[in-house]
Amino acid sequence: MATATTTAQVSEAEILPEQQTLWSDAWRRLKRNRLALVATIYLVFLIVVALVALVYTPYRMSAVGIAPTYAPPSAAHWFGADSIGRDVLSRLMVGAQVSLIVGVGTQLLVIAVGVPIGLLAGYYRGWLDSVLTFIINVFYGIPDLLVAMIMVFLLGPSLTNIIVAIVVTRWMDMARLMRGQTMSLREREFIEAARASGAKPARILFGHIFPNALGPIIVQATFGVPAAILFEAFLSFLGVGVQPPTPSWGSMASDGISALEYAPHIVLVPSIALSLTLLAFNFLGDGLRDALDPRQKR
Amino acid sequence: MTDGGIVTAVDGVSFDLHQGESLGIVGESGSGKSVTALSLLRLVPDPGRVVGGKVLFKNQDLLQLTDDEIREVRGRDISMIFQDPQSSLNPVLRTGFQIDEAMLAHGRPKAEAHARTVDLLKQVRIPAAESRVKDFPHQLSGGMRQRAMIAMGLSNAPQILIADEPTTALDVTVQAQILELLGDLNRELGAAVIMITHNMGVVAGLCTRVIVMYAGQIVEQGTVEQIFANPQHPYTWSLLRSMPRVDAVRHERLRSIEGIAPDLLHPPAGCRFHPRCPFRIEKCYTDEPVLEEHGPDNLAACWVTMDRARKEMGADDLVDIRPGAGSGVHKGQVK
Repeated sequence: MATATTTAQVSEAEILPEQQTLWSDAWRRLKRNRLALVATIYLVFLIVVALVALVYTPYRMSAVGIAPTYAPPSAAHWFGADSIGRDVLSRLMVGAQVSLIVGVGTQLLVIAVGVPIGLLAGYYRGWLDSVLTFIINVFYGIPDLLVAMIMVFLLGPSLTNIIVAIVVTRWMDMARLMRGQTMSLREREFIEAARASGAKPARILFGHIFPNALGPIIVQATFGVPAAILFEAFLSFLGVGVQPPTPSWGSMASDGISALEYAPHIVLVPSIALSLTLLAFNFLGDGLRDALDPRQKR
Repeated sequence: MTDGGIVTAVDGVSFDLHQGESLGIVGESGSGKSVTALSLLRLVPDPGRVVGGKVLFKNQDLLQLTDDEIREVRGRDISMIFQDPQSSLNPVLRTGFQIDEAMLAHGRPKAEAHARTVDLLKQVRIPAAESRVKDFPHQLSGGMRQRAMIAMGLSNAPQILIADEPTTALDVTVQAQILELLGDLNRELGAAVIMITHNMGVVAGLCTRVIVMYAGQIVEQGTVEQIFANPQHPYTWSLLRSMPRVDAVRHERLRSIEGIAPDLLHPPAGCRFHPRCPFRIEKCYTDEPVLEEHGPDNLAACWVTMDRARKEMGADDLVDIRPGAGSGVHKGQVK
């Protein structure tokens, strides 16, 4: 009996790991990645700009003739003026709102659509998996530009419709990722333990499997954001995207393309903003992938 | 079912469990212990299936229940503790939350469940239980994690607690604590315990009754005293002989059981143990033995039984237990 008490005390005095969750751990590793850190700072700046644009822009973004048409950048108009004398900086700021809403909004919806489908396919397998996988493959086979254009023609070119069009053509990667994650997670012992304790399937899917796959989901969504932003810019460039007077970086570039030779800033400014944003999201995604990888414990 | 065909992992296994009893199921890896336990709760992993039989619990056949009904039984009437506490707690959820959840799944109000979680952690002797509920599993030691699993298993005051090799993944000192805890809880709470293990020592310390399984079948059944003092099946006897002992003669080699467990795709004809049995007789090659009574509260499936092996084959003097070596080996010959 005496020995039993002694051993019990040993386990009490045991050294415990520092109070750290997956997320604080990941953040610590992300901070060490320079590129990802710079990208994060840029994106925070972009979000601030988009928020500021809600209440303040240097000039009204749709006000025509504020500056001489095609005016190059100057102290009064930092990024110059466009073909009808609108302030490019003001329009760029509002354009940031559009890009962020499209980028983040589509990915939230993609998660909302793709995750449940992937969970169901991966957990129940069998005929349900076959059906869902078939649907996923069918959607992969549909050309996304065609679907987007048809949808916009049918439903009208609004921001909402563009987001819906992007989600409809881009949800499959998330579903596939979630299906794979679910298939490997469902074999883990804690899922068996949850089933043995009487947990309902919905609880197992969303309470146990989903939180374990959150890392990969976030990484996937982070890479999905720039793809969606680019797709929106592309649609707007073609004129089937966000409609005037709301500026989108794509439509701004499209407006300036005819004046590329003598007023290149009209194209360059939104294009550079777009490139920097895409780059930043990709660097952040890369950084997150490394930071959230549990195998890389450094 | 495997790529090679249908494996009958467990065949004709039948046993009773009385209220508050602690029953040990012993056998080598692959002998069907775990599958037996999992099939009680219909948790046999895909593509496995329970193809026949009955699991009667309070006069209700668990195999006939609907999915919703069996889910109610799981964790409420019968709960289960798994082998590796490292992997049986969800790594991204707080320990206390997971125990809460086991109670919420069976309709206990949230506040009550939360309060009970702390009590349960105290009951399984986790120090500083109030702060431990907020810990993630990786912040607990292996022993504490297994205690948390036991707390989860006990949370709905089940009548049966199935422990599937609950100490295999733990240090020896921690093993002893966990076993002691399970024994205490069995006595204090009156929950019946089914202890699945390959370790005879675990059975000796905790159980009152023992089932010995080999190749998916029960080969012997009896009280722990009887099984240890007077095993009737040669397999049980070999298992006991192969236990390392503190009081063994020094430099004596550990005795293993020769051969390997049979491939269940093609189980041997006759008695499934005959290829490894030192006491086999002709009948063992062709006729499958059935469980027969060989003493008070003792069943064994063997044509020979150890009583006869001792009397006629000199089993007590046997050192060399290679197949067939038994017959004719007598005292004095072995040195």
